[in-house]
Amino acid sequence: MNLGLDEYAHLDSPLHRWEPRYKLVGLLVLAFAFSFVQDPRLLPAMLAAAFALYVVSRLPLSFLLTRLRVPGSFLLAVALLLPLFSGSTVLLRIGPLALREEGCLDLLLVVTKFIAILTTGLVLFGTAPFLTTIKAMRALGLPSVLSDMTLLTYRYLYEIGDDLETMETAMGLRGFRARRFNGRTLGVLASLAGSILVRSYEQSERVYKAMILRGYGHSSPPHDVAQARPRDVIALGGVLTLAAGFVATEILLRGFGG
Amino acid sequence: MHIPDGILPAAVSAAGYATAGAATWHSLRQINQKEDPRESIPKASLLTAAFFAASWIHIPVPPTSVHLVLNGLLGAVLGYYAFPAILIGLFFQAVMFQHGGLTSLGVNATMMGVPALLAHFIFRLRNVVGKESRMWTGVFGFLAGAGGLGIAALISLILLVTTIPAHLDVEAERASIYALTLAHAPLMALEGAFTALVVLFLQRVRPELLED
Repeated sequence: MNLGLDEYAHLDSPLHRWEPRYKLVGLLVLAFAFSFVQDPRLLPAMLAAAFALYVVSRLPLSFLLTRLRVPGSFLLAVALLLPLFSGSTVLLRIGPLALREEGCLDLLLVVTKFIAILTTGLVLFGTAPFLTTIKAMRALGLPSVLSDMTLLTYRYLYEIGDDLETMETAMGLRGFRARRFNGRTLGVLASLAGSILVRSYEQSERVYKAMILRGYGHSSPPHDVAQARPRDVIALGGVLTLAAGFVATEILLRGFGG
Repeated sequence: MHIPDGILPAAVSAAGYATAGAATWHSLRQINQKEDPRESIPKASLLTAAFFAASWIHIPVPPTSVHLVLNGLLGAVLGYYAFPAILIGLFFQAVMFQHGGLTSLGVNATMMGVPALLAHFIFRLRNVVGKESRMWTGVFGFLAGAGGLGIAALISLILLVTTIPAHLDVEAERASIYALTLAHAPLMALEGAFTALVVLFLQRVRPELLED
């Protein structure tokens, strides 16, 4: 059960040692405080806070960089559109295109917030095994249907993905090439999707029987909730103060700016 | 279709979490009314994983290929489990693959999940006209698939166009929503056709999968 997220969960840093429930609350509140920011003057402080967290977490830089690359396409579209179409103050005109000041500021805001929130999220989910984080969510009141479904989906996600890959290879070996778009291709691919659904449905019946045999659903095991140490509480207090600082400064700046 | 972090204002993200919370609460209430709600959990979980994998299937549309959203199919097969399934699927996409985001999870789940629940109701209409009929199963499968994607696209476009470029004028906003929605029409047809073919396959092979 290693899907890349748990890769650095075994490192030792203050963020790895932070009690998961406190970490979850603190970092989620911080991520929301970041998304509240609209004033460009707060952006350097926001980036600094997110990167400081990342440095303290001792996660390698490559872990962050590879993940920043993935959602690039959506941001690229926003990056191309906003500076050209949003706003009225023209900075630079090249033929029919005009670079607008408001659009550039919007773009800066969107990209910086995106990086800061993504970094915070990576610190949150990268510094503890995924199972521990889900247990922390459960202890914080996540309904058992959701936590059970999350863990089971996590358990079988890549197994079913591998099944699909095997089936696609088998189709390829029998001469199927999905190159042209026509009714037959669509029909074959729909049967592939249907088969993967049927296979996982049949597997789920066996999984359920195995779970019942192991006592699933009869008594819920006691939560092994660790006692919070003073430093967990202090860390939570610190992060919440930081988040409140961003929100308060933003409100003050909006007040002054009219 | 997944809105990343940082794009939406905090108020919209919070409202997204509120609606997603309400939809989850409603779905869980319906699920807990079953005789043994735990019995369906493994089925719903493995099907969630299967849907996740099936959304990696690429349909060739030369010169490129598209992958399907399948939220309409998910609604048709999973019923009230569709909303938790989408919430969990999007959570995994956000934390593992950085598609979508943590703060926008509520908005994305609402955008995909509410149309999935609507697709569930659309597909259930086939019970009224006779669920044994392959024609009606196909027709309602198509409507569920096309409707699921269409409503999701409409919600996401309205959100994006009205919230991101703060300095666009109203006329341009309206025009771009119309244009972008129209651009989704071929995708809706494709999603509908694919959903219809999959439900017809399931009706032939494992009809109990469509019973929920």
